[in-house]
Amino acid sequence: MKHLYLLLFFALLIVLNVTGQQKRQSHNMAERVQQLTDMANKRAVLRFNANRFKDFVKSTPRNYSVVIMFTAMAPQRQCQVCRHASDEFTIVANSFRYSQAYSNKLYFAVVDFDEGSDVFQMLRLNTAPVFIHFPPKGKPKTADTMDIQRIGFAAETIAKWIHERTDIQIRVFRPPNYSGTFALIILFGIVAAFLYLRRNNLEFLYNKTMWGMGALFFCFAMTSGQMWNHIRGPPFIHKNQNGQIAYIHGSSQGQFVFETYIVMFLNAAVVLGIILLTESARGKGDPKRRKIFAIVGLILLSVFFSLLLSVFRTKTQGYPYSFLFK
Amino acid sequence: MVQAGSKKSSVSKINTKAGISSLIIFVVLLLAWIAGFSSRLFAVIRFESIIHEFDPWFNYRATAYMVKHGFYNFLNWFDERAWYPLGRIVGGTVYPGLMLTSGSIHYILHLLHINVHIRDVCVFLAPVFSGLTAISTYFLTKELWSAGAGLFAACFIAIVPGYISRSVAGSYDNEGIAIFALQFTYFLWIKSVKTGSVFWAVAASLSYFYMVSAWGGYVFIINLIPLHVFVLLLMGRYSNRLFTSYTTFYILGLIFSMQIPFVGFQPIRTSEHMAAGGVFALLFAVGVLKYMQSMMSKSEFKSLVVFGGLISAAVVFLGVVLLTYAGYVAPWSGRFYSLWDTGYAKIHIPIIASVSEHQPTTWFSFFFDLHILVATFPAGLWYTIKNINDERVFVVLYALSAVYFAGVMVRLMLTLTPVVCILSGIAFSGLLELFLREDDSSRGEDSEEEEQSTPSKRLYDKAGKVPKMKHEQSRDTDNIGPNLRSIVTVVILLLLMLFAVHCTWVTSNAYSSPSIVLASYGSDGTRQILDDFREAYFWLSQNTADDARIMSWWDYGYQIAGMANRTTLVDNNTWNNSHIALVGKAMSSNESAAYEIMTALDVDYVLVIFGGVIGYSGDDINKFLWMVRIAEGEHPKDIRESDYFTEHGEFRVDAEGSPTLLNCLMYKLSYYRFGELKLDYRSPAGFDRTRNAVIGHKDFQLTYLEEAYTTEHWLVRVYRVKKPDEFNRPRIPIANRIVKSSNYITKKNIKRKKGTIKNKPLVVKGKRLSSKQ
Repeated sequence: MKHLYLLLFFALLIVLNVTGQQKRQSHNMAERVQQLTDMANKRAVLRFNANRFKDFVKSTPRNYSVVIMFTAMAPQRQCQVCRHASDEFTIVANSFRYSQAYSNKLYFAVVDFDEGSDVFQMLRLNTAPVFIHFPPKGKPKTADTMDIQRIGFAAETIAKWIHERTDIQIRVFRPPNYSGTFALIILFGIVAAFLYLRRNNLEFLYNKTMWGMGALFFCFAMTSGQMWNHIRGPPFIHKNQNGQIAYIHGSSQGQFVFETYIVMFLNAAVVLGIILLTESARGKGDPKRRKIFAIVGLILLSVFFSLLLSVFRTKTQGYPYSFLFK
Repeated sequence: MVQAGSKKSSVSKINTKAGISSLIIFVVLLLAWIAGFSSRLFAVIRFESIIHEFDPWFNYRATAYMVKHGFYNFLNWFDERAWYPLGRIVGGTVYPGLMLTSGSIHYILHLLHINVHIRDVCVFLAPVFSGLTAISTYFLTKELWSAGAGLFAACFIAIVPGYISRSVAGSYDNEGIAIFALQFTYFLWIKSVKTGSVFWAVAASLSYFYMVSAWGGYVFIINLIPLHVFVLLLMGRYSNRLFTSYTTFYILGLIFSMQIPFVGFQPIRTSEHMAAGGVFALLFAVGVLKYMQSMMSKSEFKSLVVFGGLISAAVVFLGVVLLTYAGYVAPWSGRFYSLWDTGYAKIHIPIIASVSEHQPTTWFSFFFDLHILVATFPAGLWYTIKNINDERVFVVLYALSAVYFAGVMVRLMLTLTPVVCILSGIAFSGLLELFLREDDSSRGEDSEEEEQSTPSKRLYDKAGKVPKMKHEQSRDTDNIGPNLRSIVTVVILLLLMLFAVHCTWVTSNAYSSPSIVLASYGSDGTRQILDDFREAYFWLSQNTADDARIMSWWDYGYQIAGMANRTTLVDNNTWNNSHIALVGKAMSSNESAAYEIMTALDVDYVLVIFGGVIGYSGDDINKFLWMVRIAEGEHPKDIRESDYFTEHGEFRVDAEGSPTLLNCLMYKLSYYRFGELKLDYRSPAGFDRTRNAVIGHKDFQLTYLEEAYTTEHWLVRVYRVKKPDEFNRPRIPIANRIVKSSNYITKKNIKRKKGTIKNKPLVVKGKRLSSKQ
């Protein structure tokens, strides 16, 4: 009888224990999710050290994805890229945090090398920053590491990559850059103040020379391809392996920044030449000066235009014409 | 050059002088027309009178349809041969001005019993209109500056490559006639601002109507003219002339532009057109204020201006913002938005970014298209600003806005070209007028002769002015000296000559290729014509079913429809991004996944362009990444751009290329059987000349498609999509294909026949008669 009781007791204990363990495990996951959510409510990007990494990422039953940026933000590491990457990552995390798609299926975290070097060793990482997505099931595959070498780490590309990996679409919402607006307001303010101070003497607004200079400068900037530079961001000059410096891009498809300045200068010189010629022939002022003006204008026009033509010639294959110089 | 505003001293002299100057003007304009026309004929002379490139083929097809079926049927035309299975409503999605123009020319010629094929009308339309453009540029410049500058501008625009690029013979596109309409509208607008007459304003709005019917670039006009009015208001140049001309122009132009089905209600519902309406309201406000000013005291007026101005500005602004939010006013469309935010298209709309015309412009392109004009037009701009008046404000604004847009997009070089010609005309005529005039007067014989021959009449003229001029001129002569003056003249003429030869060279080398017929030159200078495109399209038209669906990348949609007359899935009218992405997905998936898409879309044939044999760089493999990108935009789960690169991020077709690339449909269709081909002795088999590599995947078979036709130089390859019962079956030798007959006949078949009678004796051949039990 006693034996039986004992047996029963043990059986009960075992049953209780098993259910308890199951309960604890499921409870554990719910708890973890709860914990993570709480933490994520405080800040969009969670900071993980080695322990937390083990708790939240390495422990197996999970129903959420974690995107982790491995980085080295400490100043002594001198990682400039990490700072930019961290900014972009935070933008994505915040966009997710305040979007309608926000759920407890995805968390953003960061592991700093100085706080969790064990993790770096565990994952055999020796560079930073690295973005890795840890899926709910299984280990991260190669595609779960974002290829920042190739696609970069702009917030949009991170969001796209997350969408590929987790099916969660994040619309990146960049916090509006107030510095631009602020600068614009200040500029307007200065202009307005300036106009107000000189309200009795607004003659300078009718100064055609000033307006003409501005318009001409704008034309030179545009025709020398500054907009192309702005969009494509070419190098200033090109240095090849032998250490020779190329100022002019060899093909007609591209250009260097310095090259565009040269072209801008040449264009401006030609225009100056024409204006000098016209003014000299207009017939006002000192005769000798006008003669000099005419000669200078003629030289400017012909020499700088032929320079422009020869620069153009170096970029075009088989262009047959030249003027003054080859 | 013609001297504007020279003094005439007698009636007869006036007549002869005016006669001579108008004769000169006439002759110069005529010569400009002829020169412009003939320099656009390189392609016709070298090849033949054919329609070029891609879009012109659609325009030609639509024009031919309109000529055949009439205008109203054209407006109602539903084209089921495009965008299968969606179709396209052509009448409502096209600017009909081009078709109407050539259609009516064709009609008139036929009335006169001059039987010209509509194709020839289409081919030569743009060169003919270039002459009209030159004439309207002359008139515009004459209004702005002087007749001499006008003649310069007309000559420039007749041959400048920036305009020729869009108007060679055979390039039958909207731009060809639109630049004429643009210049003519501007001329009429300037005229109406100058005179303030309703007549010219109405004429301007009619010309604007023509422009709207011809080209989407009309938005440039409807923003530039209000900008002109706005700046004039800012400069305090409000006048009743301005009020009359703008209000007339705006209202009539608005109503006219809404008559074009494709434009419809856009002028009152999209942001691009809002500026014009805002300026219209502003002009009224200013008009009212001016009127009030005459009736109120100064302080009252001042407070009215401040408060009224602020409140009305806030109301208008809020109104527009609210309407935009409520959806009554559409926000900026992507193409326009990308003009302001230059990085926009690259991120959001790959299909816009993929078009090479939408790239920013290098200085090289500016110089290539405009040559000396790019360096001289700022001088003209300088003098225009220095001698500003109402209408010159317009040309300044035109120049500044056009030069910005041309910097953002290569394609908009076209709108910059006319204003560059105008301003360079002003610069050159200013220069030459001074240098040549002094040259004439230094001799002084002509003018003195004139004066002596008519001494009596001279007294009535401004007598005091002539001696003064003589005095001045004689002093000038000493100053600069005839030698220097003639040197300057010679240098300027040399530069202009360089411009002319440059224009001819560029036109001949860069802009006169039909791109349907390719030409290659051998080492001894012989020319070889590669006519593969037309060969393939002709094959399609002769060997495929009339309703066959042909899948190709969208570049070739118009050509397939125009030349092969077959149904296409996507074409150059890229209105449906997801449909294009579907085709891109099919091209970039592997064969079986592509087969699913192709069966879903009822594709019968697939056409790919392959340049590896002749080294043609514009083929589909080189465009392939855009297909992947566009497909990725819509199907990010199935297609990933990164899969098509090697580990080092390179796009390679050789053995190191990524396996996804080497197995995708486009790769297989391009390189099918290419591995067996040995092009010459030096290179190994399967050497791709375009990409200078031996292809990585050589021996493969196609399961779901079979090669139907490959042209002479392998430029176009056509594949037939197999039906589901054709693939994955073992091939049966012909000897075994006969179905073995057996004596066994199932009763099932017999029983299922209708109306059998029970217990009827069955007569079966070779069997004994027996009755059923």
